[in-house]
Amino acid sequence: MNQNSLLYPLSVALLLGSAPLDALARIKLTTLPVRERVEIQLDHPQVALVEEERIVPLIKGVNQVDFSWANTRIDPDSLVLRILAPPADSMLTAQVLSVSYPPNETALVWAVAASASGTARVRISYMLDGLSKDFHYRAVADRDEKTLNLAQYLRVNNNANEAYDAAEFWAGVGARFSKPLGLNETKEVPLGRFAAVPVRKTYTSDPVAFGYLDRAQDQLNVPMHYVINNVGDLFGKEPLPEGKVRIFQDDSQGSSAFLGEDRGKLTPPDDELKLYLGLARDITVRRTVDRNERQRIAGDLYRYDVTLKYEIENFKNTPVTLDISESVRQIRDDLRGDSDRDPEWQLGDGTLRTPDPEKSDADQLLFHVDLPARAVDGLAQKQTHTLRLTLNNEW
Amino acid sequence: MRTTNRMVYAFCLLALLLSPWTVMARNVDLATVPARNTVQLTIYNSEDLTLVRESRVVTFKQGVNPLQFSWANTLIDPTSVELTFREPKTGLAVLDTTFPHDKPQILYWNVQSDASREAVIEISYFTSGIRWVADYLAIADTDEKTLRLDSFVRVYNNSGEDYENAQVRLVVGTINLVEKIAELAQVPVGRVNELKKEDYRDLRQKAARKMMAPAPMMEMAAGAMAADAAELEAPKEIIKEGLSEYFIYTIEGTETVPNGWAKRLRSFEATGVPMTVEYRYRPREYGESLTRLYLLKNDAASKLGITPLPDGVVRVFRTNSRDGLSYLAHQTLKYVPIGDKIELNLGVDPTVVFELVKKKIYRDNLWFQIKGGNLYRKLGEDSMKLELDSQVAGWDEHTVYRQKIRNYSGKPIKVQIRRDYPGDIVFRSPLNPILHDFQTVQFEREIAPGEKVGMDYEVIARMGYNQKQNRVELLSGEAGR
Repeated sequence: MNQNSLLYPLSVALLLGSAPLDALARIKLTTLPVRERVEIQLDHPQVALVEEERIVPLIKGVNQVDFSWANTRIDPDSLVLRILAPPADSMLTAQVLSVSYPPNETALVWAVAASASGTARVRISYMLDGLSKDFHYRAVADRDEKTLNLAQYLRVNNNANEAYDAAEFWAGVGARFSKPLGLNETKEVPLGRFAAVPVRKTYTSDPVAFGYLDRAQDQLNVPMHYVINNVGDLFGKEPLPEGKVRIFQDDSQGSSAFLGEDRGKLTPPDDELKLYLGLARDITVRRTVDRNERQRIAGDLYRYDVTLKYEIENFKNTPVTLDISESVRQIRDDLRGDSDRDPEWQLGDGTLRTPDPEKSDADQLLFHVDLPARAVDGLAQKQTHTLRLTLNNEW
Repeated sequence: MRTTNRMVYAFCLLALLLSPWTVMARNVDLATVPARNTVQLTIYNSEDLTLVRESRVVTFKQGVNPLQFSWANTLIDPTSVELTFREPKTGLAVLDTTFPHDKPQILYWNVQSDASREAVIEISYFTSGIRWVADYLAIADTDEKTLRLDSFVRVYNNSGEDYENAQVRLVVGTINLVEKIAELAQVPVGRVNELKKEDYRDLRQKAARKMMAPAPMMEMAAGAMAADAAELEAPKEIIKEGLSEYFIYTIEGTETVPNGWAKRLRSFEATGVPMTVEYRYRPREYGESLTRLYLLKNDAASKLGITPLPDGVVRVFRTNSRDGLSYLAHQTLKYVPIGDKIELNLGVDPTVVFELVKKKIYRDNLWFQIKGGNLYRKLGEDSMKLELDSQVAGWDEHTVYRQKIRNYSGKPIKVQIRRDYPGDIVFRSPLNPILHDFQTVQFEREIAPGEKVGMDYEVIARMGYNQKQNRVELLSGEAGR
């Protein structure tokens, strides 16, 4: 223990009397039990919990144990002093009688009764402001973008105005580790390394989420993503905490190229982490409304027949899968205005007839379309797909 | 007893043989200062009000004895100061009380004694600036089957006075002094608001005095603390007794709380308190997320139930199997009567994923209003083609939902879901739901570790002309047509 950084003195006032009021007489002799062990729990999203273990000398009778925390932001109401069970051969039992809070001091005084003179092992827990954490990741995809190596890092920022010479950290995920943490230091530690994680590269068109590249020409943006499934075996059934991901690709010359970065969201097990890579310029998608007809059923009740047409070209020399995503409500609102009711719809006999059941619902539709590679002569093969929808019972 | 150098309550027996009225004009004074014998503090937590009763031993001569009582730099209400005689009860009388115009925070009593004697007098008064709060520490076991609940009381003294070796009594419960005042003053409760502010305060003080009167005043316990140094000193017991609709905590022995200090004492400690874990979705109570709760009861079967739990902050931890704690939550606990349930809200559990998916929408049972009149027709009822000026006036809106829950917590969990559906609603599902109230559906499900469940249900809302009721009807059946 570095005595210079003893910013939280824990002191035991060796007073002969046992009257608590003697604490008022602030002339006293104190012993300074050092920290034997410190644990810093960062598993709670907002709160850092510090637990320190100290060996406190006690005399028989009532002891004053002072704890002070000048210039740090300990929540005094959160302080818990627990006296750990003594070893079997120990005669000493101790318990906390009361806690006193002196005025205008960041300190408190525990009155601890001891059955005999000796030492007691205590744990002091408190919430500390100014200790924060964040996660970040480094992903390196292989050459053919089928797998990637994912490294997870934890960064602990210490603005708590207190140094810890050796603390055991627990961030809620990954393994525990022990590190010193100095004043105003930021400590970065690798938490996990996940090799050969299967990755799916997706190309998506979604007018609501990603919009148009050229609205006048009806050309949609086609963003690319790496999609990692947080499946149990790989990540140990733990959520992947949110954090920035820097994405690289192996250039097969012993180095890697930086592809970009994205902020990954909290990903529970079995969910997908989707990392945005930028826009694909070699895949073009033109989306037009090919048909919009209404048919009166009765009174002011109508049925709408709508066909969306997608003209798709893949200029890449590899085949890819395009994800076409649509919001039926958005289509209805665009074509006939918002009626404040959810659309009731049926899929018609377009080429897009089987939406992905896992990722489609009453509003969202997702279709996967396979696009062949550009031909040997360099020409892209244009594909035309249609999505035919009947919007029923609209008024 | 420590001597306070501020000497804020100068309590003087003016040791002059003649009548006190002449004394005050003189510049040469002689006074004796009888020390406090016992002090009792009765502290309310619902109002900034503390009743102080102190006893002192005073020697009186036969005849009229002047007494001076002063309280510089404290928060005593001067109109509340009262002098009574405890021993002997007869033969002594207060002739008058004088508040001198030129000296604030001082008063004089003239006491008539029929003999020369030693007497125990009691002075009582109200002060503000002393308050107490409860707080709790809950530590669940690693397997979350039982927990340990520690209850504390914390007394804050900002009254300007050091109270040394005081017997401390804490009044628990929402004090409804107005009722007491009405009872005492024979004023109808409804007319209490018409009372003048001063009268109200006066009545309030009388009420509080009367309420606290039956409790015996503990004798000086200065020797008690030093008495048994041989044994391990135990934390002071806090004696809990019910009194009327209040609960009074009396701290064992005496306490010293100097001015500006706060002191926290353990009120009780209960270990091995049985508890259950439940996950609840109740947007009206807990917001729009699935909330994890510890549930326990304030009763004897749960090793609690000795006292109601006063309002206070509870901090919830769980032991982490390495002698350490994990912080879970803190919240304000509302007053819990004996026998009532205790809910500790731990917030969202990231290991349980809770998602609602809208799967399908369809409409049927369409009714038309013919030409804006009083005539309604159902679509398809006859082959008559409805004209353009007929309008949809009523319909049934069917929405099929799937409630998905995934449990990664490593333990079986119990989930309870409540959803409000205003309007004329049919709730169709195979989920065996119940109605929590006329418009709230409740259903439950146990989910094994690692299990992923999808619970489908259909909500049929009768809209417009079709709405005949305002309630949810439960229907057993598969969701969707």
